[in-house]
Amino acid sequence: MKSKVSALMDGELDQRDVSNIIEAIRKDDYLQGEWETYHLIGDTLRQSSKLSMNISSGVSQKLKAEPTVLSPNISNLEKKLKRKVYAFSVAASVIAMASAWLVMQNLHEPQRIIMAEQPNHNLSIAPISVSSPPVIHNYPHPPIEINDYLFVHREFSPGVTMRGQVTNVNSMTEYHERYGR
Amino acid sequence: MISRKIIALILLLAFGFSAAFAQELPRSSESALNWLKRMADAPRRHNYSGTFVYYADGHIETSRIVHKVDSISERERIEVLDGSPRIVFRNNDEMKCYLPDSKRIYTEKRWFRKFFPDILPQPFDNVIDENYYVKEDGFERVTDHQCQVLSLTPRDSLRHGHQFWIDVETGLLLKAAVVKGNEIIEQFAFAQLEIDGEIHSDSLKPSQSMVQEEWKVTDLITSFLKAGELKWQVMSLPAGFKKIVEMKRNLAEKPTLVDHIALSDGLATVSVFIEPIAQDAPASLPGFFTSRGAINIYVRILGDYKITTVGEVPLETIKLIGDSVIKKD
Repeated sequence: MKSKVSALMDGELDQRDVSNIIEAIRKDDYLQGEWETYHLIGDTLRQSSKLSMNISSGVSQKLKAEPTVLSPNISNLEKKLKRKVYAFSVAASVIAMASAWLVMQNLHEPQRIIMAEQPNHNLSIAPISVSSPPVIHNYPHPPIEINDYLFVHREFSPGVTMRGQVTNVNSMTEYHERYGR
Repeated sequence: MISRKIIALILLLAFGFSAAFAQELPRSSESALNWLKRMADAPRRHNYSGTFVYYADGHIETSRIVHKVDSISERERIEVLDGSPRIVFRNNDEMKCYLPDSKRIYTEKRWFRKFFPDILPQPFDNVIDENYYVKEDGFERVTDHQCQVLSLTPRDSLRHGHQFWIDVETGLLLKAAVVKGNEIIEQFAFAQLEIDGEIHSDSLKPSQSMVQEEWKVTDLITSFLKAGELKWQVMSLPAGFKKIVEMKRNLAEKPTLVDHIALSDGLATVSVFIEPIAQDAPASLPGFFTSRGAINIYVRILGDYKITTVGEVPLETIKLIGDSVIKKD
């Protein structure tokens, strides 16, 4: 299931699976967490200034704070008009959601290296790369001082290895290779 | 007029869609919060001794604990029984950690409560209710004691959930779990326990052989600082988090002191460590790391400094905090 979440994020999932996995993510807290973590990792690797954040709880709290509008009785004519407006707006919102989904699809397409076109064939034939792929920082080993930091952060509490002992800290990419994808 | 209504409806539907994902949690009940208060007070009211286990990522660690309280002090001895030995003696907030293998003693002043089963801040206030929905979840038996189960559901995605098993008779915490969604990522539990039994003060002191040996003593903390004394600042604290202390640390292998800022939401803690990058040090790179259980780590470079953020919170929260550290002018 986890590998499907990552495939969905990379845009590698076939159309039939997409709706199934989105439904699964919606229902499963754990998969939702995975989805958010993959995005966060992606953002960091791309050094994006904006983070993938879960804003849903903030939005629902704002909604709760909104006053309820109580409207008086309305005439038949107005009702008819209202029904029309409602039907129209439902259609509009479906379009809005569909387009939002399309935008998301575009966003999650894997980054491609853009090659400059060669208008002048007299010049060098080799293609020139105009944008380099993002540099992926990958520590082979975590920095040594992390163990000291864990030691004082946990206030000597059991569970962390001690100073001078073999570390149990993993880099995130390694962790996902082992437990994730 | 019509177009405005349409826009309003579209907006409402769009927001409703995202709100459907979020849980709307009510205030915690008075009785649930009272259980937490009892749990926070219990270590100040009862002596206890026993064995507890820590379990995370398929790894188990057993520790022996002896805890004695009287009108003036609270003393404790905790000995880790698996792997290389370590023994922690605590006298109120003064802690000494003995590592017999390397003949070293580290001294430290307690700035939060991390030692199971004494893990709630004192004095206890209801700040936990702002960040977690506390609910009574029936009764269960743990090490032959009838326990009230409490579940603490986070009110947002910035923290993990918790579950506590509290002894009905004494209010002592007998089992604790950190949960992420439906999955338990870390837990402590007593395997054997005696409450209010006789405790000899000898069992709370280093043994005769320990006293006679030569130990190298390192004081890990040099000074607690007043707020704002540090030249570093966490600009925007995530919702529910407060700064609890600023310190200068003496981490033995470092030639310079390391700055340490500790934050908490009442249950989870996050530490920010800032150290200058030495001239001859290999190039530092930013990155994410995980450790056992609920721990996440984020390393970031800012000018000539390395900022390491560590905590028992989701990666998103760690990154938010780490990224908002700035240097004051």
